Amino acid sequence: MTEADLEDVWRRSAPHVLGALGRRYGDFDAAEDAVQGALLAASVQWPKEGTSDNPTAWLITVASRRLIDRHRSERARADREQAAALRVAADEAYSPAADAGDEHAHDDTVLLLLLCCHPALTRASRVALTLRAVGGLTTAQIARAFLVPETTIAQRISRAKIRLREVDARFSLPAAEQLPDRLASLQDALYLIFNEGYTSSTGATLYDVSLTQEAIRLTRQLRDCRARWDRAAIAEGSQLLETVLTRGHLGPYQLQAAIAAVHSESRSWEETDWMQIVVLYRMLDDTAPSPAVTLNLAVAVAMVHGPDAGLRMLDPLLDATSMRRNHRVHAVRAHLLEMSCRHDEATRAYATAAQLTTSMPEQRYLNSKACGGAGEPVAGAT
Amino acid sequence: MKYVILIYTNPEPWGHPTAIYTKEGRDVPQEQHDEMDREFEALLNELTASGEFVTAEALADPASATLYGWSAEGHLATDGPYAESKEHLAGFFLIDCDSRERAEEIAAKFAQPGGVIELRPAMWPGGDDQ
Repeated sequence: MTEADLEDVWRRSAPHVLGALGRRYGDFDAAEDAVQGALLAASVQWPKEGTSDNPTAWLITVASRRLIDRHRSERARADREQAAALRVAADEAYSPAADAGDEHAHDDTVLLLLLCCHPALTRASRVALTLRAVGGLTTAQIARAFLVPETTIAQRISRAKIRLREVDARFSLPAAEQLPDRLASLQDALYLIFNEGYTSSTGATLYDVSLTQEAIRLTRQLRDCRARWDRAAIAEGSQLLETVLTRGHLGPYQLQAAIAAVHSESRSWEETDWMQIVVLYRMLDDTAPSPAVTLNLAVAVAMVHGPDAGLRMLDPLLDATSMRRNHRVHAVRAHLLEMSCRHDEATRAYATAAQLTTSMPEQRYLNSKACGGAGEPVAGAT
Repeated sequence: MKYVILIYTNPEPWGHPTAIYTKEGRDVPQEQHDEMDREFEALLNELTASGEFVTAEALADPASATLYGWSAEGHLATDGPYAESKEHLAGFFLIDCDSRERAEEIAAKFAQPGGVIELRPAMWPGGDDQ
């Protein structure tokens, strides 16, 4: 098996293994160390002997054994015999049968996600910890994705773990009244990961596919386990939980997801159902108004009612302090002016947008548009 | 000892790498740009491998700057750029090397068409006699 195969197995199994250990033993730090140890063992054993039929179960078994070994070695000499007995029992108790390996996997992942997105952590820490613990990315990969030094991410993660210990955060379903906040915090982190990947705000690569894929994968896990989780919630008899989770609460994330769905359903830009997007953005504008929503709404309106209608919506943004120096407003304006055949104004707007962006590929694109080019991004250069 | 390598240039329009956006840079044939790119890449690899590279940033257009003036009544923020000077700070590298000679050797390799490179030692509170 190649290193890439191993990494693939690892990234699919990591949240389940860490979640399972965390739920059973409660200690995030020790669980993570043990999981790292298990991966190391896998990297030695699997290329030689092949992957186990159920790699997740194999990793849970090995990691559990390591965790218990660690407890054992920390005990006094006199306790060793007893600990050895515990170890045998633990192996038997915690090795899932081959067909039962995924029984708790989804639940564990959600608990792990909720823990990583604990409200006591900063937004940046939640994202880093989620990618590390649930996404199975290395510190170096996360650092590369966010274009910061590896030490920054390492410190961020270690501070986050200390913070979790300080607030005594547990691998357990939060109390019902806390759940909406915790879910919001979780959605926020996944949204940040997706957005950072979708348009990297800095640096030389416009699309970081891996971060985007990672966010979709994590969100899918969250969605996949909704049905199971809802049942658990209903069993708790919480009316609040039912309202939030099962009754189609229409918040900003749901609306943005709906907009993204309309975009992804259309086979091309031209075939996009812009009318539906206008309606959804108007709803978003009602529930969570912001200059960014206005900007997106202006694009959709322009697609339905023509560029001049869109341009009229943009005018107030040019004076808004938060958006005046935002390159996107000027880039959108430039495109709409171009559609409206006001080429001189379009050129100036493209140049302004190019001056204001901090993304090098975007700057290249906007500069080429300002120079009257087709706007093909220049590849390769940094 | 830490040194900062400051890159002053005036790309038009603003863009990175700045050397291809300056008037002088546009006059240089593509093959020569490619050659300079390769040399620069090799230099960066060398500095990374030796541990002399600390950090670097490319800066956005000076027009995106905000300037803060101070007065006893309070600060006043205005939109940049700082000055309509011919050359702007376009980016910087922070390096850590054993001697001034080594820093000069590195900085010289940053010279590029349509720009000026400035090497400045960083100060620190340790205070030994260099």
